[in-house]
Amino acid sequence: MIREVAWRLFASEYNDANLETEGTGERPPSYVVTPLGAKVNRVFVVGVITDVENVGTDGQPMWRARVSDPTGTFHVYAGQYQPEAASALSKLKPPVFGAIVGKSRIYSPQPGTTYTSIRPEVIKSVDESVRDYWILEACRSLQKRLDAMAEAQKMDPPTKEGLVKVGVKEAIADGIVQAVNHYGKVDLSRYLAMLAEGLRYLLPEYREPIAPGEPTVDTPRPIKQEPSREADESEGKVLEIIAALDADGKGAPWEGILETATTRGVSKDSLEESINALLDKGLIYEPILGRMKKI
Amino acid sequence: MKEELAPHVHDITRALGNKVSEQEIERELSSYLNVYRVSLDTAKRSIVKKHGGNPATLATGISKTLRELMPGEQSVNLLARIVSVNERDVTVEGGSKRILYGILGDPTTTIPFTAWEPLPVPLAKGDVVRVQNAYTKEYRGQVQVNFGIRTAVAKESPTALPEFKPGAGQPYVGKPTAVRVADLREGASNVAVTARILSVERREVEVDGAPKAVFSGILADETGKTQFSAWKDFSLKPDEVLRVEGAYVKTWRGIPQVSFDERATITRLKPDLLPPSERLNVSPRMWIEDLAERGGAADVTVRGILIDLREGSGLVYRCPECRRVLRKGACRLHGEVKGEPDLRVKAVLDDGSGALTAVFDRELTEGLLDKSLEACIAAAKEAMSTDVVRDELADILVAQPIEARGNVTSDDYGLMMIVESAKLLKVDVQAEAREMLEGLEGSA
Repeated sequence: MIREVAWRLFASEYNDANLETEGTGERPPSYVVTPLGAKVNRVFVVGVITDVENVGTDGQPMWRARVSDPTGTFHVYAGQYQPEAASALSKLKPPVFGAIVGKSRIYSPQPGTTYTSIRPEVIKSVDESVRDYWILEACRSLQKRLDAMAEAQKMDPPTKEGLVKVGVKEAIADGIVQAVNHYGKVDLSRYLAMLAEGLRYLLPEYREPIAPGEPTVDTPRPIKQEPSREADESEGKVLEIIAALDADGKGAPWEGILETATTRGVSKDSLEESINALLDKGLIYEPILGRMKKI
Repeated sequence: MKEELAPHVHDITRALGNKVSEQEIERELSSYLNVYRVSLDTAKRSIVKKHGGNPATLATGISKTLRELMPGEQSVNLLARIVSVNERDVTVEGGSKRILYGILGDPTTTIPFTAWEPLPVPLAKGDVVRVQNAYTKEYRGQVQVNFGIRTAVAKESPTALPEFKPGAGQPYVGKPTAVRVADLREGASNVAVTARILSVERREVEVDGAPKAVFSGILADETGKTQFSAWKDFSLKPDEVLRVEGAYVKTWRGIPQVSFDERATITRLKPDLLPPSERLNVSPRMWIEDLAERGGAADVTVRGILIDLREGSGLVYRCPECRRVLRKGACRLHGEVKGEPDLRVKAVLDDGSGALTAVFDRELTEGLLDKSLEACIAAAKEAMSTDVVRDELADILVAQPIEARGNVTSDDYGLMMIVESAKLLKVDVQAEAREMLEGLEGSA
């Protein structure tokens, strides 16, 4: 049995998937097929593990971790059948950069609703450089599928043989045809934007918020802007507020932050600006919608 | 050709319980053999697997000469002479068992064999036997024949096979075919290769119980590199350019190798006929999916992530006799022995296009750990478990991007790289991301 390759793909593409297929052989492997035709049995993900929670019982723990990348969030579940991964998860202190190798899973509680998740085989905390390299690999992989899907969309109907003829690898061509049959004509611009987003995430010149209309590509090197003292001050205050309001470890609620900030003389506009800046700098993150947490 | 394949088509159809028509099987078999050019054995097994059957139920073996045998054959028929035979008791799964081992010979070559099950007939030196459904394995670079539970062994008349004469084979007749290194294919004989010797070393091996010198190394032309073995002392020197006429090609687990012996003619050529060694001696970077397609390659470079450590990584103990790694203090062949400590890593290297098992030897492992074997033994003693070494390796290696160089071989379990050198990969992520982004915005 040849080992299944570990796909590098972004959470947003993975979570768009709602097609599951089976391979052939004695113990047919199952695959999650994404709208761009990635036929995923195993994944390799590196992102920020933002929270780990036991959603099972004390006797039968089921650890759920959220792993965020520049495009979205992966959900990782490890229970009694993944003892090593479960034990590694339970010991992690989020937020940390984490590398996860695991099997793709799709869950459909009712028709029309599907959730994708990962059942981990290996979990390890890593450093930022490993995460950055992963983003680059995920971008390259995405680019390959975008190119292949663009070719497929020129064909009517696309076939494996036709794709192989224009230089698409057989393993990718197979998934592409399955994806086209299931998802129809996918809007590629959304994934092109995702690719650009992933690449910009790696580049310091795009980290500072840029005013609309200002040229972006012509900036040859990052211009380190000295942030104004005023902005600096309010960011410091906001950070303090978030830390103080995070009583239960689940993050500070937005309403609470706004209220406290107003009493300390930070306007709503400048609060939003500070939060955006802090998010960009990686000093805080949003564990769940409407809550902010210090990293 | 069609008549020859008929028994195999029948065999496959039967193994699939007649679910699939013979015409369909015949078409598939011919595609595997003629389009994909895999071996008959592989083709049969693949077809049975593809249709959901069990390849172990295939019964018609493929008749081969000993020289044709490859590692990992599941079912071969042989006509061979017993060159030598001995008995030995081994411990298998806790019980003691008597096995036979020795050497088989036919006019093409000799090969070691092991009979794991009691045979219906006693075997003696000089007997000629017809063997059906034997299987082969590779051990330390050599093919070995195994007789298992499905294997049938019957004696034949001693005249069924010419007397085995060790030593010289028949000289080739006819003009050799000129072949470029990249086009060397398994089974080719009487070929002519023009190449530069990149390295050569003398090794002593045992052939039919007698020591023999073999001169092996790497040779190359503009199209690629390959390993070679010269079974005669041609006083080969690194850097010289020569023409070898009358060589033959064997593969060792997917890697073609050139061999030549006293039947070959060596002509030394002008050194400037081929590019210098440093230009020829590059290790091409390859994707694992392409290696999988080719079934292996010599001296390639792969970039990927070590995504998992396999069983048997870290501090291991080897059998002093056969160097196999001991399991629970026992060797598969030699039973309970006092193991010799060694360090190694078997890791899954995945580059996003495919995965292979990368094997790092003691020296490389010591380098990765920055720790000697002795220090590892001491650490394991203190922790009372060898797991500490494995855990430390996992800590250093798992999720790391690396660049590894070495030979890639393949068998039923997939690809394996014997790592020659490796380094942690440092990539200028920003520069590459910027380049990709520019390409994206340029095309938009």
